[in-house]
Amino acid sequence: MKRFWAKIRAGVWAGAAALRRRATALWEAGRGFLRAYGWPPLRRAAEFLLAWLKALRIRVLPPLLDLVFLGYLWLATSIAVSFAATGRVAYTLLSWEWFVLVVGVTGALWSAWDQTLGLKVVRHRLSPASPGMRLLYALFWPLFPLTLVTALVDREGRSPAEWFTDLRLVEAGEARPRRWYRSPTGWLAVLGLGVSLAAAVAVTRVDLRAFVTRFEKTLKFWRAIFSPAWDQAGLGLKLLVETLFMAVVATAFAVPVAAALSFLAARNLMRGPLPRLLYTVLRVTGSFTRSIDAIIWAIIFAVWVGTGSFAGVLALFVHSVVDLMKLYAEQIEAIDPGPVEAITATGANRLQVLRYGVIPQIINPFISFTLYRWDINVRMATVVGLVGGGGIGFRLAWYLGAYAFSEATMLTLLIVLMVWSIDWLSARIREKLA
Amino acid sequence: MAHVVVENLSKIYERGKVRALWNVNFSVEKGEFLVLIGLSGSGKSTLLRCINRLVEPTSGRVFLNGLELTRLSPRAMRRVRRRIGMIFQQFNLVKRATVLQNVLAGRLGYTSTLPSLLGWFPKRDIQRAKECLERVGLLDKMYVRADQLSGGQQQRVGIARALMQEPELLLADEPVSALDPATSHSVMQYIEQINKEDGVTVIASLHFLSLARRYGQRILALRAGEVVFDGPPEAIDDRKFKEIYGEEAEEVEIR
Amino acid sequence: MKLLRARALAFLLDLLVWAYLLYSGFTLYYLSALWSPWRPEEKLVWPALSPWAWAVVLVGLGEAVLLTQAFGPSLGQRLMGVHLVAEDGAPPKLAARLAYFGFSHLALATLGLGSVLHPQRPWHERWAGVRLEPLPPPSSAVRRPPWYRTAYGLTALLVALATLAVGWRLTEVDLRRLVYDASKSLRIWYGLIGPDFRYLLAPDPRIKLSLVDGLVQSLYMALLATVAGTVAAFPLSFLGARNVAARHPVGWAIYALTRGFFNVVRSVETVFWAAIFAIWLGWGPFAGATALFVHTVAALGKLFSEQVEHIDPGPVEAVTATGANLLQVVRYAVVPQVLPQYLAFAIYRWDINLRMAVVVALVGGGGIGRHLFEYKDDLRWSLVGAVILLFMLTVWVMDYLSGWIREKIV
Ligand SMILES: Nc1ncnc2c1ncn2[C@@H]1O[C@H](COP(=O)(O)OP(=O)(O)O)[C@@H](O)[C@H]1O
Ligand SMILES: [Mg+2]
Repeated sequence: MKRFWAKIRAGVWAGAAALRRRATALWEAGRGFLRAYGWPPLRRAAEFLLAWLKALRIRVLPPLLDLVFLGYLWLATSIAVSFAATGRVAYTLLSWEWFVLVVGVTGALWSAWDQTLGLKVVRHRLSPASPGMRLLYALFWPLFPLTLVTALVDREGRSPAEWFTDLRLVEAGEARPRRWYRSPTGWLAVLGLGVSLAAAVAVTRVDLRAFVTRFEKTLKFWRAIFSPAWDQAGLGLKLLVETLFMAVVATAFAVPVAAALSFLAARNLMRGPLPRLLYTVLRVTGSFTRSIDAIIWAIIFAVWVGTGSFAGVLALFVHSVVDLMKLYAEQIEAIDPGPVEAITATGANRLQVLRYGVIPQIINPFISFTLYRWDINVRMATVVGLVGGGGIGFRLAWYLGAYAFSEATMLTLLIVLMVWSIDWLSARIREKLA
Repeated sequence: MAHVVVENLSKIYERGKVRALWNVNFSVEKGEFLVLIGLSGSGKSTLLRCINRLVEPTSGRVFLNGLELTRLSPRAMRRVRRRIGMIFQQFNLVKRATVLQNVLAGRLGYTSTLPSLLGWFPKRDIQRAKECLERVGLLDKMYVRADQLSGGQQQRVGIARALMQEPELLLADEPVSALDPATSHSVMQYIEQINKEDGVTVIASLHFLSLARRYGQRILALRAGEVVFDGPPEAIDDRKFKEIYGEEAEEVEIR
Repeated sequence: MKLLRARALAFLLDLLVWAYLLYSGFTLYYLSALWSPWRPEEKLVWPALSPWAWAVVLVGLGEAVLLTQAFGPSLGQRLMGVHLVAEDGAPPKLAARLAYFGFSHLALATLGLGSVLHPQRPWHERWAGVRLEPLPPPSSAVRRPPWYRTAYGLTALLVALATLAVGWRLTEVDLRRLVYDASKSLRIWYGLIGPDFRYLLAPDPRIKLSLVDGLVQSLYMALLATVAGTVAAFPLSFLGARNVAARHPVGWAIYALTRGFFNVVRSVETVFWAAIFAIWLGWGPFAGATALFVHTVAALGKLFSEQVEHIDPGPVEAVTATGANLLQVVRYAVVPQVLPQYLAFAIYRWDINLRMAVVVALVGGGGIGRHLFEYKDDLRWSLVGAVILLFMLTVWVMDYLSGWIREKIV
């Protein structure tokens, strides 16, 4: 009976192995063929698509960028001018038809006479030409969206405006730098900055006189600031310790998680289709999570588990995990492949390669990144506290909201002391490590 | 009267209490090419920097055309520095600035403060900068960032910067130690040309005796801050060489 | 002399370690839900013990320190880089260690008089037949035991564990809540999935501003603070750089003052400044922008000065050698070296300011944060969701833009 089953099993194994061999051979043959000859129609289609996209990158993207920039200029000018004239903020002064007209005409003239901002980005410029030709170019420039079609037909992927004139978009070589006031782009950039600042002054209702006229309102808190509420020192100290522990706990629990994930998020370790998929998923979710601010995480967790330091810890934890994962993974990607190759050559398996080829190289950067992150977490702990994450920040926000300035000053003093000592401490530790 | 006269010059660095120069005396005639040699740490850089007072000497005097530099106020010293060009081992270019800006920096002593802060230079200076760059064969690199150039090219920019000052004296602190032998000779030839054609006095420190023999009219050797040899290159024989560089040293040839 | 210092500091450090462990024990005990009712403010308590109990605790503390010092390098000894050896340089025998432990009491009772009189080898070490020696460098032939076989390793482990345990209790980490209260978080997830963009363009009746208005306000607050802050920090950074400013006593005073200003202002939270300016200048975006500006000047000023201090001194020397004056040297040798970094830092600061522009609304700083906090307090989650989504979108776009610009510059 035993032998029977053994025979069956051997047969099944042999069959499976043969099948796999055949499948692999077929796969290899197919790949080899594709690599050698390609599939002509497919390859031609890909080439065509690439050329089309390249044409669009040069002929559609820059005009769009320029239009966005000019539109922004219009918006900011409107805000500034309307505020100066009426004391109210309006996003557009004239009707939308005017907006389209002005932006369109400016865009056309700019594109015809100089290397625009958008073209600068893609490192192209217009070939030299006579003023008449330039005018013609400007006239046809608004047809740039049609490049979507013309680039399909035209071998060089020209835009309608190029088509009708003898101007070409050519790659910009090393140009002699011009003084900013010698080029329209420089003018527009400075104008953009100036108008932005004017709009900023309007929107934020800057009123420098208030510094003087309202000064007496501040007398009360100057007095408070110079007489901190010392009776709050005990409570403040306890809250400070709590805040420190928030940072410690968040960092301590984030490090192992991040370290484990970082190996899966390192491109050079994740070879093959399935690992690569995992890598991509991790990286994408990581960057998505990281871009949600710690403050917003704190708000979410304050609703979830209730206001308090646990919410703060969770917010810091989530942010630390994704941040450290990225930092660690980048460090792993930057390792020297030599030792890894050498260890692999000795016949070690994957985990052994990790242990002896990778980890020795990354241990020091990991430690310094962790310290750096701890540093950040200590500072962030007060900030997430402000919006409901507990600790000293929550108290501070509370006092500030109640205009209890001598209490708030006391807490601020403590925070300043903490930040300084942490600064000093981590500088010392880093010195020791380096 | 000699062009440069150095009298009883000593320098003791407070930090580390190092006696970098001790009682150095020599003089250089106008148009001479003087080469300083010595082991690293023998005080060559310190000596050169004491001449234009980038380093303040502890005691002793330095004269240029009979003018005592060591007594000048900082302001007056700045005016004198305009006529003393300097070239450095590490080129000391502003890496992120263009070649032209680096060369124009040589004119700063002649430009009044406000325009120079705004980056305005007279047309004449820009013209001159182009000429200087042409002379070192880098006119086509005028608008390239300095860190895009090779070592030899960077040192040529350094020479152009010094040329901009219309110097009467050129100090060169190991101008070729960071370069490979072939490039070294090309750079040294530019310096020699400035010395021969413009009649500029040159004091250059060099690491290798072979280079010193090839370019120097006269050699001054330092050992532990003291002058141990002062004379023509031919006069350095094997015994003298051992005295300068120590017993173990052996002469190598740089081609 | 060195040994005396090592002895004193090692004792202090060990005392600190054990006191910390003891205090962690107390804290854990008092935070334990079983026998201590949860009191909101009293998370960290000073134990109420009778005087004799305190005496026991203190004596116990001292004994623990002496014991760890006698048996293997303690954490303090390890950090000071010393260890005990027998006369022949080998590790001391058990008897010698016990003797050392006993005689150390005398040393402690005389407040270390012996160590002051004979710093090389005080009496209690002589009697016990041991001596304190600097640790050999790690590369020497003697193999050190692994950390988990040493007193300092175990103590460090204990400290780490105690820290984690106390932190766990103190911050009320409660993973069950994360699961049980998941339903509560549903509200905010619903809000994020089904945001209510009612006030996107139409002004909110109470705040009188639409979300877009608020967003524009926040953006411009951040912009104004960043630009003005960079412009103000630029000249200050040279005064706060040791290599430029601190060349003579007056310059040194200016340097110290500038650095002090940076350090103080930088470490005070932006919200604190916002609260001050909200009273001074009245509620609204101007107060918020001013607070951001003040903080930006200090933060950028410090970063900028550090950049100036780390420049390559070569170009400075070269430009000085051409006869240029101080201003010209700064303009031609320093500024070109630091300008790209300055811009990169300014852009980085813009990212921070944009985020902080939301937080300053907490105390009356204006901007979209006002919508966020009001809706949150009113528990109107779908409106909160709208604000968060809008703000996140903006932050993404701005981060992308600024990252791209930074790449172009540097
Ligand atoms: N800034 C300084 N502070 C203290 N010691 C210095 C300084 N610069 C140079 N030294 C010391 O002065 C001596 C001479 O150095 P240097 O003039 O650089 O010699 P060389 O250029 O011949 O190599 C060396 O011993 C060096 O260590
Ligand atoms: Mg030198």
